[in-house]
Amino acid sequence: MRRAGGGRRVPPGVLLAIVLVVGGLVLVGVQAGRDGGPGEAVQQAGDGAAGAAGAAATQPARAGEGFFARLAGMWNAHARVEELERENQEMQAWRELAERLAERNARYEALLRMPVDAFGEGADIENSIAAQLVLDSGGPFTRTLVANAGDDHGVRVGYIAVNENGLIGRVVSVGARSSRILMLDDYNSRIPVMGEASRVRAVLAGQATRPPDLYTSPFQMQSPRLDFIVGAQSLREGERVVTSGDGGLYPRGIPVGVARSSGDGQWRVALAASQRPIDFVRILPFVGIERPEATQVEDEGPPLNTTSSVAAVGRELTQAPPSALTAAPPRPRPATPTAAPAPRPQPPAEQPRAEPQPEPAQPEPQPAEPQE
Amino acid sequence: MALRAPSRGVLRVWGLVLAVASVILPALPLGPVFAQPPLPLAVLWAAYGWAAEDETGWRAPVALVMLGLLHDQLAGGPYGLFAVLYLSAYLVGRVAAVVMSAPNLVSLWGGFIVTTLISIGIAYVVAPLGLGRNVSVMLYAQAALITAILFPIVRPLYMSAGAATRPGVRR
Repeated sequence: MRRAGGGRRVPPGVLLAIVLVVGGLVLVGVQAGRDGGPGEAVQQAGDGAAGAAGAAATQPARAGEGFFARLAGMWNAHARVEELERENQEMQAWRELAERLAERNARYEALLRMPVDAFGEGADIENSIAAQLVLDSGGPFTRTLVANAGDDHGVRVGYIAVNENGLIGRVVSVGARSSRILMLDDYNSRIPVMGEASRVRAVLAGQATRPPDLYTSPFQMQSPRLDFIVGAQSLREGERVVTSGDGGLYPRGIPVGVARSSGDGQWRVALAASQRPIDFVRILPFVGIERPEATQVEDEGPPLNTTSSVAAVGRELTQAPPSALTAAPPRPRPATPTAAPAPRPQPPAEQPRAEPQPEPAQPEPQPAEPQE
Repeated sequence: MALRAPSRGVLRVWGLVLAVASVILPALPLGPVFAQPPLPLAVLWAAYGWAAEDETGWRAPVALVMLGLLHDQLAGGPYGLFAVLYLSAYLVGRVAAVVMSAPNLVSLWGGFIVTTLISIGIAYVVAPLGLGRNVSVMLYAQAALITAILFPIVRPLYMSAGAATRPGVRR
C-alpha cells in the first residue's frame, strides 16, 4: 500500500477531503445572505426532525429533574409548607395593595383616555401559541432556539417569543412542526428598546462574544449591549428596559430586562427571560411591517445604487420641479404588496443601469413644437 | 486477574461516540454546562487522529462531512461551515502526520495545537462568509482552545503515539 508521505501520488482520502472542502465552501457561499430557497427548506425540515429527536432525548432528563425535585421536596416538606403559608399571608397584603393601585390606575387612565394597556401594545396575547423548547443553541456561532410549534400551529416568521419573565426573541424560521427563535443575545439581534421610566431610547445589540457565567448565575444569557443611547444620562441603574416599538418589528412595552452599567460607560441589559432556564415559551402573533424585500416597488426612474452614490444623492436633491415639459409624474408606491407585480419598464438601450449619471436630473428641455 | 487493554477498534468506536456526542449535546436544552464552550469540539480530535491513522481511506472525510453537516443543522447555521472547519483540520492533520517522522506525545500535542489555531483562522475567514461580517468567532476559538488543552487525555481514542501506523513512516 502506498503511503501519503512515501509516494508522490495524493491519497484518495486526501483528494476526497480537498474536493469536499471546496464543495463546502461553495455551499456556504451559495447560502450567504439568501433567505428562502432549498437550503432553508431543508434546514426547516431538519429542525423538525431534530426537534422531535431532541424532545425524545431530553424526556428522561426532564422526567428525572421532576422526580429528583419531588424527592428533595419530601425531605423538607413541613418547613416548606410553613414558609409558603407565611409567604401567602404576605402576598395577600400585597394583593390588596395591588388591587387598590390597579383600580386607581384604571381611573387615572380613564381620565386621560389612554388606550388599554396590554402585554406589548399590538401583541395578540389572546391568540398566542404555547410551545416548548426542544433544541438549544447548538454551536458557538449563533444563539438560536428551536420550539416545537410551527406552521401547522399557526406560527409565522416575525412572531415574538416571550416567557413568563419577558422577551426571548423573534421567530426567524418556521418549519411544519418547529420554529427557530433568534435570541436577544445573538450577534444578529438588534432591537429598539427604551427605559420604562426615563424613556431613554437605545438599540439592544446582541454580542455573542461573552460566554455565560457558569458559576454565579447559571442560566444567565449573555448580556446584550445598549447602543445609540439618546439621553444616556437619564438612564438609571436597575431601570426596567422594555421594547420601544420603534421600527415596527416588536410591539411596544414587552419587558426585556434591567439596565446595568458596566463601569466603562457602556450599558448592558440583564435579560429578564434568563432569570430561569427557558423551557416553555409563548409565541405572540405580531408582524408589524412587511419586509422591504417583500414589497415590490414600481420603477421610479434610475436606480440609486449606481456606481456613484454622490451622483444618486445629487439626483434626489436636484429633482426638477414639475413643469409642463416633464414627463408623467412618478407613480405612487403601492400601499400593499402586490402578488403579481407589474412588469418593469425596460430602460433605454443606450442608458445602461450601472453607469453613473453625471448629468443633472433636470431633463433636457425639449424644443417647442413649431407652431404652424 | 490482569485487565486487557481495549483494542484499537474499540477505542476508535468510543472516539466516534465522543465526537457525535460533542455535536449533539450542545443542541439539547440541558443547561450551560453542555454549551460549546465549555464543551470541546471533539470532532477536531477525530479529524486530527483519523488524518494520522486513516491512510488512504475515504471513510474519515465522509464521516467528518456528515458530522459537520449535522452540526450545521443543529446550530442553525449555513450548511457546510462546520464541514469545512472539520475537513480543514483533517487536511492540516494530514500534513502534520507526514511531517512528523518520529512522533511522541509532545509533538502530537504541538501538532494538534497548530491544527487548532489554523482551524480558528479558517473560521475567521469562512464564518463571516456564511453568517455575515458581524459574526463573532470568539466562542469557537474558546471551544477550540479547550479542545487543544484536553487533547492528551483523549489522544488514545483517536491515535496511537507510535510511528507504526502513521503515514509517511516506513515500517
